[in-house]
Amino acid sequence: MKAFIQLVIANIKELLRDRMSMFWFIAFPIFFILLFGAIFSGSEDTASFAVGVVQQDNGPIAKGLDAALASMPVVKLHIGAQDAELAALRKGSRDLVIILPAGLSSAVKSQHRVEIPVYYDGTKQMSSQVGIPLVEQVLNQVEAQATGHPLLLEARPQAVQAVTLKEIDYLLPGILAMALMQLGLFSALRLVSLRERKILKRLGATPLPRGLLIASEVTVRLLLAMMQALLIVIIGRLVFGVTIVSSWYLVAAWVLLGACTFVSLGYMLVSFARTVESGQGIVQLVQFPMMFLAGTFFPISFIPGFLQPFVKAMPLTYLADALRQVMTGNPPLFSIGADLGILLAWFTGSLLLGIRFFRWE
Amino acid sequence: MLDSLDLSSAPGADLAIEVAGLCKSYGAVRAVDGLSFSVPAGEIFGMLGPNGAGKSTTVEILIGLRQRDGGEVRVLGRDPKRHPTAIKRRIGVQLQITALYPRLTVKETVRLFASFFPKTLPIAEAIARVGLEEKADDRVDRLSGGQAQRLSVALAMINDGDIIFLDEPTTGLDPQARRSLWDVILELKEAGKTVFLTTHYMDEAERLCDRVAVVDHGQIIAMGSPAKLIRDNFHEQALEFNQPALGNHVDLQTLPGVIRMQQEGESTTLYTDQAPRTIAALMEASANANLPVSDMTVRQATLEDVFLKLTGRRIRE
Repeated sequence: MKAFIQLVIANIKELLRDRMSMFWFIAFPIFFILLFGAIFSGSEDTASFAVGVVQQDNGPIAKGLDAALASMPVVKLHIGAQDAELAALRKGSRDLVIILPAGLSSAVKSQHRVEIPVYYDGTKQMSSQVGIPLVEQVLNQVEAQATGHPLLLEARPQAVQAVTLKEIDYLLPGILAMALMQLGLFSALRLVSLRERKILKRLGATPLPRGLLIASEVTVRLLLAMMQALLIVIIGRLVFGVTIVSSWYLVAAWVLLGACTFVSLGYMLVSFARTVESGQGIVQLVQFPMMFLAGTFFPISFIPGFLQPFVKAMPLTYLADALRQVMTGNPPLFSIGADLGILLAWFTGSLLLGIRFFRWE
Repeated sequence: MLDSLDLSSAPGADLAIEVAGLCKSYGAVRAVDGLSFSVPAGEIFGMLGPNGAGKSTTVEILIGLRQRDGGEVRVLGRDPKRHPTAIKRRIGVQLQITALYPRLTVKETVRLFASFFPKTLPIAEAIARVGLEEKADDRVDRLSGGQAQRLSVALAMINDGDIIFLDEPTTGLDPQARRSLWDVILELKEAGKTVFLTTHYMDEAERLCDRVAVVDHGQIIAMGSPAKLIRDNFHEQALEFNQPALGNHVDLQTLPGVIRMQQEGESTTLYTDQAPRTIAALMEASANANLPVSDMTVRQATLEDVFLKLTGRRIRE
């Protein structure tokens, strides 16, 4: 235990005194978040409202409402079926969806009250605070023109459950997954470097058990991973207002599993490398395709079909998917159980191969 | 095999190391080819030989870093193949290539290594013994070669082990740094430690070692105290000079007193049991041939001469 603690302390001191590594450790995820966050977060369009109208009534009142909405410069009118329009709202491409129920026009003529359901995106303040009064105003105008009794049509606002997501909500968990992958994959190179500099050999001449050395190395990497994850989540929250939809513990657990998986994978990969240079080559060869194919920056549905088998085999795809689900509540690509199973399989598989093939000399 | 070792030599003389018929091959290369020797406790024992003679391989087998192919080994009475951890607790090791964590300080490095052992010297004492007190808070990557080597020896001393293995401790150091390390090694002996040392420096072996095994191509070609090795091989003095052309005019072997002659590049060495007569004859021959000799020295034979005599080669890096 004394040896383990001293090894961990020595390892952390070495890292803290390595300015280059510290720079990349802190700066890299920040650069990525700020860069991509800035590129993608400018898309919340406040200058206009995308209003979907579901026209179940074809009477004069309904047509009057359409015309009134269409005449407003801030409104972009879409007319469509209820399912399609609500789906569009959930995806974030509508701000409001107005249902004009069947029998609307005749009900108004016969002086009956009619409720007009107005669905809005609960996460967008613009929709509820500006959009709904706007609709109420239009309803009153049209009604007054038609009947002189502006009291029959009543807007009934309904927040849509599924939150619509900003691009940063998609990006942030992906960047976190990517950072974990890089930290994990490159962590084993330190062992190769210790071997290359004969430090492993020197340690081998002491009674220190090898397992304790590896345990200390892995512990430090997992600590770093947790710190880096915390850093990313905090930046996401402070700069872009990204909130965690599930519990922090759950996110921490996935971060830990992700870090374990990629640290093991790193050890497995470098077990085939003789030198630090060749180890770096192998790690780069693995991490670059994963970075671009695992849906870090764009959804994997954009990736052409012939690459899909790779996409679906890579651990990063599943870590990013799981983190998106537990951090920001993105719709799942795979079930959380599938994410868990595949990550665990990669974790144990690479752990066993790493133990089997790593050369100490 | 162990039967061939003299285990009952002097009463109470514990053997720190016993080796019989040790063999190790790397592919077709026989790095160690049937070594047998034993080291009594409290002795400084040296393995002397050129690079590639099998010295490091022997050390690595003794300390349990490498598996032997054949033969018997006992370190502190135990077989390093079967009890590597028990042996590692009771020995100190300095390996040939000093490799340490570059960004730790001297003190941090010693503290780290101390944590691997159940019992150790105080950190400050280990640092003081090698004279690195002033560098205790300096990073390892800012130490000079001699300081790094002394740190390495401090690490070998940290567990206050019974045997200290030093694999070429002074290679690459300047003369002053070598001398200060020699003092550290001699203090180890005074403290009652057994020291197993490899070197390819003759003067180092002569100065430090109680006994020396001269090794070449994985075999011991001579063993004994430095004085005995020299005495056994040379009754004579060595007369060295530079004038390669002189040998073409005079048969130097026939000069009075000359027993043997050795030519190495520019340098000629005549081994003689009548040095004054040989010098006089050499001067005369030189004057007659009008070929003045330069850099002439007369000296007692050294281990260098022993190695040269036994192998026909000098022991250079």
